[in-house]
Amino acid sequence: MSAPEGQVPAVFYDGTTARRHPVLIAPTQDRLGLAVLFDAPDLTPVVWPFDRIRALADQSNPASLTLTLYADSTDESPRDPARLFVSDPGAVAWLRRTRPSLFKRDLRPGTYRKVALWLAGAAGAVAMMLFVILPGLANFLAERIPLEQEVAFGRAVMAQVEYLFRDGDEQMVCDDPKGRAALDRMTARLTRGQTIPYDLDVRVYNHPMPNALTAPGGQIVIFRGLLDKAASAEEVAGVLGHEIGHAVHRDPTRLTMRAAGSAGILSIVLGDVSGGTLVGIAGEHLMQAAYTRDAEEAADDYALMLLGDAGISAAPLAEFFGRIATLTDDIPEYLSSHPLGAGRAAKMRAAGLENADGRILDDVDWQALKRICD
Amino acid sequence: MVPGSHTAVGYTGERGSLFGLALKTGLLTVLTLGIYRFWAKTRIRRYLWSSVSVDGDRLEYSGTGLEKLLGFLAAVVILAVYLGIVQLLLFYFGLHFVVEPESGEEALMQLAVIYISLLAVLPLMLFASYRARRYLMARTRLRGIRFGMDAAAWGYVWRALLHYLMTLLTLGILLPRQTFWLEKYKADRTHYGDARFVQGGRWVALYPAMIHLGIAAAILAASVVLLALTEDPTRAVPLGVLGYGWGFFGWAFYAVRSRRYLDSHKMLGGSVGFVAEPRVGRVIAIYALGFLAVGLAGGAIFAVASALTAVAVGSLTGAEGTGAAGIVIVALLYLATFAVFGALTLAYITQPLIAHFCETLTVLNLEALQSVRQRPHDRGADAEGFADALDIGAAI
Repeated sequence: MSAPEGQVPAVFYDGTTARRHPVLIAPTQDRLGLAVLFDAPDLTPVVWPFDRIRALADQSNPASLTLTLYADSTDESPRDPARLFVSDPGAVAWLRRTRPSLFKRDLRPGTYRKVALWLAGAAGAVAMMLFVILPGLANFLAERIPLEQEVAFGRAVMAQVEYLFRDGDEQMVCDDPKGRAALDRMTARLTRGQTIPYDLDVRVYNHPMPNALTAPGGQIVIFRGLLDKAASAEEVAGVLGHEIGHAVHRDPTRLTMRAAGSAGILSIVLGDVSGGTLVGIAGEHLMQAAYTRDAEEAADDYALMLLGDAGISAAPLAEFFGRIATLTDDIPEYLSSHPLGAGRAAKMRAAGLENADGRILDDVDWQALKRICD
Repeated sequence: MVPGSHTAVGYTGERGSLFGLALKTGLLTVLTLGIYRFWAKTRIRRYLWSSVSVDGDRLEYSGTGLEKLLGFLAAVVILAVYLGIVQLLLFYFGLHFVVEPESGEEALMQLAVIYISLLAVLPLMLFASYRARRYLMARTRLRGIRFGMDAAAWGYVWRALLHYLMTLLTLGILLPRQTFWLEKYKADRTHYGDARFVQGGRWVALYPAMIHLGIAAAILAASVVLLALTEDPTRAVPLGVLGYGWGFFGWAFYAVRSRRYLDSHKMLGGSVGFVAEPRVGRVIAIYALGFLAVGLAGGAIFAVASALTAVAVGSLTGAEGTGAAGIVIVALLYLATFAVFGALTLAYITQPLIAHFCETLTVLNLEALQSVRQRPHDRGADAEGFADALDIGAAI
């Protein structure tokens, strides 16, 4: 189809009133613009230059076009407020075919710069919040929680842990009296002469996982699996020292508070279900890992200090870490919440406690501790 | 009664083209890890708006994806600071109440602490919902003339909070009062060009719309009494289930009937009126058929996607197990399935609902709009950034 010979009817909205102007449109003599001719005598014709004519995109009726004019304005888009509605099939087809700039998106100069600046600014502000302000605030507040509140909170956490690991109605806490006494002796010997802000509450849970954990308020749990895997009482003492380090540094409280503050921030940033969720989970994990790795190193240092003061060699602990390294070192360090086992073992060896060869428990006590759950 | 003409509002959107647009933009959103969603929403709105016609004139949505992205970034920073600090402080003070609850009071206190953190977000959500509506109005045009809404979000927040509290304290009896006055607050601040909308009518007139909610409450109360008296759950439980189901129906009935009353009592510029006649049965049917269609089509697509995943992962799984490529493929297919569900919901539920509400709306004395003049451009505040960040008003 060729360009419309004569004039074609259309509807013009002037952008200043809600009046609807029935108009006739036709290309101008020089073919550079579209003339809009009003049938009311008091209105002068308007000419829209073709190179500035744009059409609204994503409209539901492809048989018509709503035209607008590229113009400098303070509006959301650089467009003139006037509109020209064309539904004549010939004119619509001709415009679509011959006007390549019809659906051009006109960005204001400096748009990319602006977006880049906003993105960087927002990312910086959120990172500042997550990695500086929240941790700082968490540390500040953790120092100010009354001791008894922290202990009460820890009890509530322990009740949760016990509930999670309990298998049926079985008793979780191992309380063989001889084993209990041995554990108390180990704790007392490790902490002799140290200032510990809490009454430490160390217990053994009857669970095969080779691990230990510390809840707020100086409450430490060693799982039976760790006693089973440990080759000597000194290895257990090293792990216990590490957990006491967490308790003294108030790590569980601080980390829980950081988590409470940062929970939800990442999901806000990454938004809806489609797309963000997986990235959100990964990001949360990376963040937590970074938080805890520092705490773990500090707890290691504290354990070395305890062992040193108690005159016990760090070599067994080094060996223990060396052994778990074969399990965990496949995970890159930035993904792991604990410093890598091999690196930790090297640090323990370098701590130079070889000449300290004291024993934490005698053989009778060690055997009693190993059988605490029987 | 408004003199003059009756003009029916029409809706011309088609299922297929909307589904195509939603699917295309949804997949782009997945591929850009969510960044494209601002443009996706904008493009879908352009389509929906342009499908609404009044006397041959179509609505125009003039928002841009870019301003939505920038508004979202600003909102995220503010929310991150606010939520981070508020949640941390609430947790800190919450710790003071963490004890093994030994009395009912202490248990209640713990519960309260949990809900306070929700309350910390509620004002923001109300704020966001008003600003989102203001943005939508500011980006809607008819005959080249902008709609608009006054910047009055905080006034809405405290009024809404008080109304919610009143409704809660009266066990829902003052719900019509809340519905009416909150709608009036928003409607009276809405403009088309230089003409203002005014919400007329009386709040007590919404009570007939409450009838089925009342019946549902009565049935539920009866089931509780029956259980207390007979201690026989075989009769009380079915009654409770019936009351629950009736409650759902009652809610739909209230939503549609109150909208009918409120919209029919709005005036624009003192001379243009409206008659809204949406039907409860039709709305429920749209939801029921829509869920069925989305469920069936979505289920089939999910099955295909699962099979594809199995094949893809199978071919990629070597001696060392599934590699990173396999995980990426699974994740992308999983997210693409969400995009398909979103597009189906839009085409089979959202659009038919919009169509029904449009096609049952009549404008009275439309000619009076001739004298309306343009209003100035509104920067649109945060361009819905808060609503996007808080994930509210997700439908369109």
